[in-house]
Amino acid sequence: MTRERGDILKDLMDGVFLMNEELVIKAANEIVAAGYDAYDAINNGLIAGMNQAGVLFDKEEYFVPELLICSDAMYAGIEILRPHLKVSDAREKHKVVIGVVEGDTHDIGKNLVKIMMDAAGFEVHDLGRNVPLASFVEKAKEVGAKLICLSTLMTTTMDGMSTVIEMLKEEGIRDAYKVIIGGGPISQAFASKIGADGYADNAAGAIRLANNLLVKAAA
Amino acid sequence: MNTNVTIPADTQTSLERVMCYLKGEKPQRIACFPLILNHAARVLGVPVGVYNRDGKAMGNSHVAAWKRYGHDIILIFSTTSTLAEAMGTKMKFFDEDAPQIDEPFIKQHSDIAKVKVPDFSKDGRLPVYMEATEICVKEVGSQVVVSTVFGGPLTTAAALYPVELLTRDMIKNPEWVHELLEICTQAGIKFIDEVLKRGALPFIVEPIGSGSLVSPRHFHEFVAPYLKRLSDHIHKNGGGFPAGLHICGKTAPNWKSMLEAEFDIWSLDAVDLGEAKKAVGHRVALVGNVVPANLLKNTAEEIDAEARGICEKMGDMAGFILASGCEVPINTPPENVDALINAARKYGRFDQ
Repeated sequence: MTRERGDILKDLMDGVFLMNEELVIKAANEIVAAGYDAYDAINNGLIAGMNQAGVLFDKEEYFVPELLICSDAMYAGIEILRPHLKVSDAREKHKVVIGVVEGDTHDIGKNLVKIMMDAAGFEVHDLGRNVPLASFVEKAKEVGAKLICLSTLMTTTMDGMSTVIEMLKEEGIRDAYKVIIGGGPISQAFASKIGADGYADNAAGAIRLANNLLVKAAA
Repeated sequence: MNTNVTIPADTQTSLERVMCYLKGEKPQRIACFPLILNHAARVLGVPVGVYNRDGKAMGNSHVAAWKRYGHDIILIFSTTSTLAEAMGTKMKFFDEDAPQIDEPFIKQHSDIAKVKVPDFSKDGRLPVYMEATEICVKEVGSQVVVSTVFGGPLTTAAALYPVELLTRDMIKNPEWVHELLEICTQAGIKFIDEVLKRGALPFIVEPIGSGSLVSPRHFHEFVAPYLKRLSDHIHKNGGGFPAGLHICGKTAPNWKSMLEAEFDIWSLDAVDLGEAKKAVGHRVALVGNVVPANLLKNTAEEIDAEARGICEKMGDMAGFILASGCEVPINTPPENVDALINAARKYGRFDQ
């Protein structure tokens, strides 16, 4: 017997939020078998669950391990549902380029921001860690991203962030992009000093900032 | 510099000052622990990459740095991954930066069988640390506390096995994580013995236990019990040495769990130290916490003002040690380190 759409969505959401990957897989297969809309299931099930996890992260009830396992569950569900998306589901998303600046290989913070941005509906182009500074600008131009996110955990590589901003200025395209920065040694004062468009001190804050800079600006 | 306040001369050596804390007496002024680690190479003028791999260079750098700055603790250190490196993790070395993890030793869970407590006479760069420790104790140990710093059990585990997988396993495979932490704790106990044997103070850093990464519940389960074994070992074998713990980043959510580890000294980073004093000041001596990036970027006047603000927050300053929140960045201008220490001389007085 086929269950109601709402009941299955609740399982998708709870499965992500409560870190129960098996429940997510079962519910995602159920969506496919019943012929329910995959796009709806991703948005109102999986991503809704990830956003709930994000709220708890913000409140310091969930921490990095919990968030990583929630995201594993979310991606397991997306994997099953993606082949069933309709062409009409493809809509323009805000594009973002993200990476850890050259000289630094610590990427756990960047990965969290990426996960939360995925869940918040951004199209994220992840350059990884230890990224040559010019690559941020090149990639943003290539994919038409309007937002560049730079992360570092190390004071030795902080200056690379201002170099990226300088590169944009030199090419006369600074105004075409928003640049936001984050990571251990970074502060709002440092962001202001180098002329970045914003600073966030955790993943949830980065999403709010991205929304303010891109979504609200576009509205 | 702020010329309104003259800088009073010190009447105690660094060692005498720190001994006052241990005896529960008031020193002439508060101690100052700028966390000078790789920056020491800059004082001697050797490349950081040489400092990191040559015990003589590392030891001589710290002797030179202490003679230059007169800070109240020497901290022998290059990275938090040094124990893990000696246990098999591959590091990548740079000429002018601290090494970074290149390839964690554990690729799959079964590799845990190959993880052993290291041999301090030959594994990794442990001989470098030990030689540096011996040089500092011999050269200046009669005037200043020499401390050798190593990663705590969770930090060592996270350098042996990628941190993203390790944190997932805290939820999905906790028994395996405990097994790994047990070996890392045994390696830490050995480290303590080797450092004590050389007349230095073992100091533990556990950045992976930061509140940004680990919840209070996980700290209670995976961090505190193992740290407590290290502090117990120092208390039992350290001849009166205190047990010191540094955790980088945000720690406030974990303070209650951190108390379970029974350390005497907490060096804290991105927290409100005034709040920490209210919450735990009756149990631990607090060390902190000028923002490291500010040491690199701000002026000496700004450092003076920031340090003064922290001293004011600490009220009676009992048990308080002024410090940087985390490592003094390698390229910090020397005048900013001076400004930090002078702030302890100006604002941290007990003799007036």
